[in-house]
Amino acid sequence: MTSQTPVNELVSKPYKYGFITDIETEKISKGLNEDVIRLISNKKQEPKFLLDFRLRAYQQWLKMKEPNWANLGYPKLDYQEIIYYAAPKQQEQKKSLDEVDPALLETFEKLGIPLSEQKRLSNVAVDAVFDSVSIATTYKEKLAEHGVVFCSISEAVTNYPDLISNYLGSVVPINDNFFAALNSAVFSDGSFVYIPKGVDCPMELSSYFRINSGDAGQFERTLIVAEENSSVSYLEGCTAPMFDTNTLHAAVVELVALDNASIKYSTVQNWYSGNEKGIGGIYNFVTKRGQCKGKKSKISWSQVETGSAITWKYPSCILQGEGSVGEFYSVALTNNLQKADTGTKMIHVGANTRSTIVSKGISAGHSSNSYRGLVQMGPKAYGSRNYSQCDSMLIGDNAEANTFPYIRSQQPSSQIEHEASTCRISENQLFYLQSRGINFEEAVSMMVSGFCRDVFNQLPMEFAAEADKLLALKLEGSVG
Amino acid sequence: MAPCQQWLETLPSPSGVLEEIQRNGRDAIFKQEFPFKALEEWRLTDLNRLEDVLKLPIATETSNQNLLKTNKWPEKQKCGFRIVLHPNCQPYNSLDLPPGLRVLTIDEIHKNIGNTLGLLNVNNDWPIRINEAATHQLLALKVEGRNVPPIELIMPAQTGEFVPTRVIILLEEQSKLELLQIALGSGNSTHSHILEIHLAKEAELEHGLIACGNGEASCMANLAIMQKNSSHYSLTSIQEGWNFSRFEPRILQIDGHATTTLKGLQVSDHNQQVATHSLVRFSGPDGNLDQLHKAVSKDKSHSIFNGLIEVPKIAQGTNAKQLSRNLLLSKSARIDTKPQLEIVADNVQCSHGATVSQLQEEELFYLCSRGISLNQSTSLLLKGYFQEIISHLPAEANRWEILDNLLGKQG
Amino acid sequence: MTSKDANLILEISDLHASVEGQKILKGVNLKIHAGEIHAIMGRNGSGKSTLSKVIAGHPSYKVNSGSIKYLNKNLIDIEPEERARLGVFLGFQYPVEIPGVSNLEFLRVATNARRQNRGEDELDTFEFEDLVHERIKLVQMNPSFLERSVNEGFSGGEKKRNEILQMALLEPTLAILDETDSGLDIDALRVIASGVKQLAQPDTATILITHYQRLLNEITPDYVHVMSEGKILHTGRKELAIELEKSGYDWLNNSKDLMEEN
Repeated sequence: MTSQTPVNELVSKPYKYGFITDIETEKISKGLNEDVIRLISNKKQEPKFLLDFRLRAYQQWLKMKEPNWANLGYPKLDYQEIIYYAAPKQQEQKKSLDEVDPALLETFEKLGIPLSEQKRLSNVAVDAVFDSVSIATTYKEKLAEHGVVFCSISEAVTNYPDLISNYLGSVVPINDNFFAALNSAVFSDGSFVYIPKGVDCPMELSSYFRINSGDAGQFERTLIVAEENSSVSYLEGCTAPMFDTNTLHAAVVELVALDNASIKYSTVQNWYSGNEKGIGGIYNFVTKRGQCKGKKSKISWSQVETGSAITWKYPSCILQGEGSVGEFYSVALTNNLQKADTGTKMIHVGANTRSTIVSKGISAGHSSNSYRGLVQMGPKAYGSRNYSQCDSMLIGDNAEANTFPYIRSQQPSSQIEHEASTCRISENQLFYLQSRGINFEEAVSMMVSGFCRDVFNQLPMEFAAEADKLLALKLEGSVG
Repeated sequence: MAPCQQWLETLPSPSGVLEEIQRNGRDAIFKQEFPFKALEEWRLTDLNRLEDVLKLPIATETSNQNLLKTNKWPEKQKCGFRIVLHPNCQPYNSLDLPPGLRVLTIDEIHKNIGNTLGLLNVNNDWPIRINEAATHQLLALKVEGRNVPPIELIMPAQTGEFVPTRVIILLEEQSKLELLQIALGSGNSTHSHILEIHLAKEAELEHGLIACGNGEASCMANLAIMQKNSSHYSLTSIQEGWNFSRFEPRILQIDGHATTTLKGLQVSDHNQQVATHSLVRFSGPDGNLDQLHKAVSKDKSHSIFNGLIEVPKIAQGTNAKQLSRNLLLSKSARIDTKPQLEIVADNVQCSHGATVSQLQEEELFYLCSRGISLNQSTSLLLKGYFQEIISHLPAEANRWEILDNLLGKQG
Repeated sequence: MTSKDANLILEISDLHASVEGQKILKGVNLKIHAGEIHAIMGRNGSGKSTLSKVIAGHPSYKVNSGSIKYLNKNLIDIEPEERARLGVFLGFQYPVEIPGVSNLEFLRVATNARRQNRGEDELDTFEFEDLVHERIKLVQMNPSFLERSVNEGFSGGEKKRNEILQMALLEPTLAILDETDSGLDIDALRVIASGVKQLAQPDTATILITHYQRLLNEITPDYVHVMSEGKILHTGRKELAIELEKSGYDWLNNSKDLMEEN
């Protein structure tokens, strides 16, 4: 097709979140040892149990090897060159939003997350995290009326030590993997959500993570506990400025759902991905896991992954409670030299558990996009079922799409079904749309969003349109 | 001392046409670590059984009489040609070959042997090196023309021994062959086998491989197939009855434009571990693959399938499909399957699928609703499940009782 | 007991059944005598197909209460294969494809199971081939379909012919044909209908489950039942079917409302 714009010309719309906030930052010196951990813990005025938790994790981490199995070559990280704590300097204990540094409020406003009373989103409560600390959490009071706790994890350590000591590390043990151990040792801030018995959380909860310092690692930690018969929908978003160095982001997210509880966790990940030559960008090595502990509980992960230089991420479900349900809906888009290795693990432990996996990978440029997933039926997973569908779309002949499903069954009455296919945007389809007067770019973006429809349908309404736009932006010019 | 080093010391000194390869194999084994779990390709393997393989003495000269005691095989077909693979004893160049078949010259052997293994980057794989270290004799054949009689290649059971065998077959342009390979096992024994096949332009090979073990027997069979353009390769394989079995068919479509059909069935029972690791690489455009792999896992057995399809940038226009279907028939059995696609070409049609379940309730009900008992329905369905693979075997396979036995066992 | 009840073949009383926890049948009552042809009509989801599966004993359907008596025997605790041997036949709406299983072998095993139950000798392969080639004429099916796998790659019409062929071989006492007419062109429909008519005997009974009048133009039922929401709402003679075709199912609901108002 001759009339088309060449693929790569259109691609590179500048990353619009790439600005740096000029603010005085308190950073500790780089490097990691026990003293650094004590220092972080001390700065956060943590109780002893948490310091012990961190130190145990650190000891485990020292013994662990950095994984290389995912075959995503990246230059070896020097963990002594990373700063493990960075926070904007501000007055002690801000009592209200008015006391937050206006530069920070402005930053979040620029990112589309206004925090001030007048402008904040009407039905979404936001916890805004800037480098290592939480800046503000909106709608706290309104949520409190329903008994819902939504605050930064540092605050929760002080106010709800029992919940934290009960659940922190209960789904992702401190020695689970190299990056989870590192996070457990040095995590800075993140969000904590607690939904009491019988409560349907009255509004969407959202955390927004912003990396501002180029030399600091981002190690946030999120914990969500949904008690019996409760439900919550949570969304996280992430951006970072453009630096030509790589920044490590190693988060841990733990979800616990008790009887009949339901947690929906959505992510729109748009960390800086590096430039078209692959310089800079975030290394996004994240451990996300949910435990369906109670009967008929449900955990649903949806993710739209468009950023980061390298992503390793497998949001997983341990389906322990009888009749519990796990879901994973993912769109991962890679362009330029990005590498994404993402998927899920569905561990069926209890009887009559169900899981659904829908993964859509789009690879453009010279990028590599892999689905890697595990479906496991344990010996007691009577009558359990899984259905997986993994589709890849390749744009251009330098992109790579891989599918690695690991399937294991030890229970004959269970059923597993996996399907995968790859396709490209066919010239016929494009021509058909164009012949109906739709311009080329629009036609491509229509088809990509059609390809991703099943996943977008799972996102909270406010964000589905956002995700669609994000994809269109990222892809501009990558087809020709 | 590590198991491999100990084993190396028991080997007779290198000799014959494979002398150099033997030396290289032994060197490599000496330097290599014994396979360990952290390696993806050995992750699920019962390494104790792998180690046990090395405790057996290497097979030495065996008389036909001895073999016939432990082996039962049908009369050979009048129009067919039968070769029994005797390890390390009989030089194959004395074979009285029918028209269209000849033994390769020493030059041809040196020019071709190991090439496909190298191109597939598996020449340093542990099972390959073990075979190379141990194998003295080579069956090396060239196929010319389209009127070659069907070949039967028999690897007899040799109780109590480690039986290394190696074969290379070159099919010249436009030639055609039907090859039925039978590997039998009994008692505590091991087959270690490498078969290399080169299909030149427009060559056609219909290949059947029936590997039936018994008791403690194990089998490690490696196929390395190179296909030139417009060639057709069709493999139908059956693995059954081995205490430990690892089957690794690897196909390289060196310049695309070829057709590959792989139909595999593996059945595991008792405490057996049966694995298939297949690889199909398209190194040129417009290649075709149709792969169906079936596994049935019973009792306390473990069934493994790893199927990799590689479609690099050069392989535009590839059309590949792979399906892994698995039946888990017992609460103590286990199935692992991992169909994999690696694609770097945008104009391709590739798909894979995998299912793990019991027999389908709807199918069972349909049969039962016609008055057929549950047991009989189950056995009918299983036979049907097998038949889908078995029906692709070369015709002369039907004369082998092992197939009837296999079907008869399902009741 | 009247003399008519002496030739009662099927008696369903207050049958409640569910699938995957969802209640589908909510009190079905039905009596069928020898020599009768009954038609059961109704919208999609009214429970017609469920009723047929429950009579045949599909394991996914659970009987919550009520009874199904067939030749004075309670069917509910009997395995599906035993029901078939006793002469209950279900013609599937969607006949199942079974790759690898030879159609001929399947038919022979099934026929012999039924013969055994009736105290008849099993047929060997040759005897059976004779029988099947005689019966296959009834459905005008190409004998090459015998060599293929059960229903695999058959067209819709071929599958339905294969169902009726099975019926011809098994000689059921009670035949239930679930939407046998769906997806058939008029010629195929006539062939199937004539097959069914020839197989209906004074000592057997037939239930036709259908959506349309079409099949009933070919086979005249003695009774027409209309199902809705898991119950038999109306029972009439063949005229009811004609009325349904003309006025649709809404007419029935309205008339029911009217009756209730009165």
